[in-house]
Amino acid sequence: MAQSDSSNRKNTRARVAVVAAGVVSPLGFGLNETLDSLRNSRNCISPVTRFSVGQCRCKTAGQVSDDRLLATQAEAPRSRRLHRASHMMIQALTELVAQEPHFEPELTVIGTTSGGMSYGEHYYRSLRQAGDLRRAPTWIANYPAQKPVIDAQVAFGISAPCQVIANACASGTNAIGHAFECVRSGRYQRVLAGGYDALSELVFTGFDSLQASTPEKCRPFDRHRTGMVLGEGAALLALENLDSAQRRGAPVLAEIIGYGISTDNFHITQPDPSGIGPRQAMERAVQSAHVAENEIDYINAHGTATLFNDAAEGKAINRFFNGVPVSSTKSMMGHSLGAAGAIEAVVCLLALQHQFLPPNMRTNRGRLFCAQSFRILLASVEQMLRFSCAGLKHESCNRRHGVGDSPGKRR
Amino acid sequence: MSLAIAGMGWVTPLGSGVDSVWERLLQGHEASATTISEPFSEQAYSAFRVPESAMAGFSYPRLRRASVISRFAAAAGLEALRAAGVELNSQNAERTALIFAISNGGVIYTRRFYRDIVDAGAQSASPLLFPETVFNAPASHLAAILGITGATYTLVGDGAVGLAAIKMAEDLMANEALEHCLVVGTEEVDWLLCDAYRRWRLLRRAPPIEPFSKQPRGMILSEGAGAILLGQDGPFTIESAHPGGCFTKRAEAEKILERTLRDLAETEIDFVVSSANGTFVDQAECRALKVVIPNAIVYTAKPALGESVGAAGLWQIMLAAQALRSRELPPVLHVRSTGSLQLPRARMSIPRARRAIVLSCGLNQQAAGLRLASD
Repeated sequence: MAQSDSSNRKNTRARVAVVAAGVVSPLGFGLNETLDSLRNSRNCISPVTRFSVGQCRCKTAGQVSDDRLLATQAEAPRSRRLHRASHMMIQALTELVAQEPHFEPELTVIGTTSGGMSYGEHYYRSLRQAGDLRRAPTWIANYPAQKPVIDAQVAFGISAPCQVIANACASGTNAIGHAFECVRSGRYQRVLAGGYDALSELVFTGFDSLQASTPEKCRPFDRHRTGMVLGEGAALLALENLDSAQRRGAPVLAEIIGYGISTDNFHITQPDPSGIGPRQAMERAVQSAHVAENEIDYINAHGTATLFNDAAEGKAINRFFNGVPVSSTKSMMGHSLGAAGAIEAVVCLLALQHQFLPPNMRTNRGRLFCAQSFRILLASVEQMLRFSCAGLKHESCNRRHGVGDSPGKRR
Repeated sequence: MSLAIAGMGWVTPLGSGVDSVWERLLQGHEASATTISEPFSEQAYSAFRVPESAMAGFSYPRLRRASVISRFAAAAGLEALRAAGVELNSQNAERTALIFAISNGGVIYTRRFYRDIVDAGAQSASPLLFPETVFNAPASHLAAILGITGATYTLVGDGAVGLAAIKMAEDLMANEALEHCLVVGTEEVDWLLCDAYRRWRLLRRAPPIEPFSKQPRGMILSEGAGAILLGQDGPFTIESAHPGGCFTKRAEAEKILERTLRDLAETEIDFVVSSANGTFVDQAECRALKVVIPNAIVYTAKPALGESVGAAGLWQIMLAAQALRSRELPPVLHVRSTGSLQLPRARMSIPRARRAIVLSCGLNQQAAGLRLASD
């Protein structure tokens, strides 16, 4: 394994290419299905079937089909013991490796919030209710957050050191952002980055107890929004020094050009209503990319549809950007927490590659919560897109853009 | 790149405060074990817990409802800043990054939260407990106390996560806008954790931890926090943070450790702070050490302090720094057989020691190392 190059440090600014990607989410398995769902504004929210939600206010989520997930990996050794999160990670990495079979990361940076939480639930419930604990060693072994990452690596013979970031909702974005900084600094040539999370009863009930999730439909940025709907999935990006990628003739799908991070200390579950957290993150991303805010063509917002998030985030977008098209694709697939930032980066990648703007479903233009300069996308729009939103730049355009998110908040 | 250790903070089952804990280790003290039980189970376990006296007088409104893991972390983090003479304000807080290393996280509140759901249904779930169950709750609390508005990361992993956090800090500090990076490792112990590790055949029911035994008898869990403030200036330098790697089978751990040691031992090494804890880790490290640095003096504090998992890596670095500072190593307790390793059985003087290796092999497939030097 290559050690990072300590001779290349400050002031080195390598360009960072995305050379491959893989995704599984309620929108579909792989980039093509995801693109199709985005273009067709497909509603991928359904009644929760994995556990009882009879006592919860919210009863829906964006879910990945187990039948398909397990069917695609039935041949893998010890496959039955692995957590669903491992299967999702393997699925995403399978797609990525199919595009770039020779991508050997020096480091893997992955975001998550819950690891193999449902196995922890099985274990505790069995203990508490004097149930069958024969599978307890398997549950315990597959519970740690790094396990799905290592499982996926093992499936493809990768043994890179892993950094698993658990920054709540920002985990996936932070993982890609940190990986981007690692390559840009010149210390690494290739980093695998992304995020994953699988639905679990504990987390679902937690958001329900906070009344952050909705018993109705998810309507980001709508004045009558009533909360989020959870989701799940995994997404991975292969990041590589652009020069290195071009030298070996790797396909360059997009370029990451900036990253911003901020910490909002207002409250453990609520963002500062002024929107200072997301605003600082966006400002820093744009500064990091050395572009002007009016060069940004599209913003894929966090847009959870909670009262607090959308108000603060909308305010920040309004103040910093003037009329840039915005959408929250969580309206279609739910909020997949640690995977969200990574899946949304893939959404942006697809938007750039195929030159369209993904929609924000169910929001009524007449009920937008804030000023008219807030340009929400209510349908998929074909548009010349020079570059994006949650952090990517289209390879064919000599423009740049930034990525930003604010860690530490779950709502 | 090299990073300097500007300050350190320590909360352990042997008390809090770097100098105080170090002195007790030098004197050969070990933490007292507490028995943890659970009404619905006949199983009881021993654990090394942080004594109440260690946190006496430590109070912040923000931490009023927080779990002990957040309180340990905040106490250690604040001590590290004080030791470095760094006072964060609106200017330098933006230029300070915060990285947390955690393994099991806020397991006490997580268990309580889920117990209510299991016993009485989802309607009884507490909205006050839920936010404290997330991995990054301790980081959020400390960031708020310190007013940090820049980069805050929580890394999750096994016993090697502390060293992974240092590696991440090294990568972050490549950004010239950062002045400091505060790295905090923290963990709390709970009956559920003990039961889980016992079912995984890694836990011993009662002390002692017997390091490097031919037959691994298991570890005792502990809790607390360690904090290291990294900057450009300080009495100790992290010359190399090695990312190590991931192993799929326990037998593979030795190979990763061997490779890590080879890279770190390119210069003369005076001693090694090992992560030996009475499990399979010990033999993996022992074999790797025998191949790469057969004459190394090896120290582990886990018989005295227990296995604190997420905090353990930070504790090991602090132990190495204190040994380099005081030119002494504490005794390794409860050694039954040493094999060919040189383990200090009594307080050992190391008058010319300048460099140490810290080796961390986790229980969940991760391993890493680093090399520390004194000025």
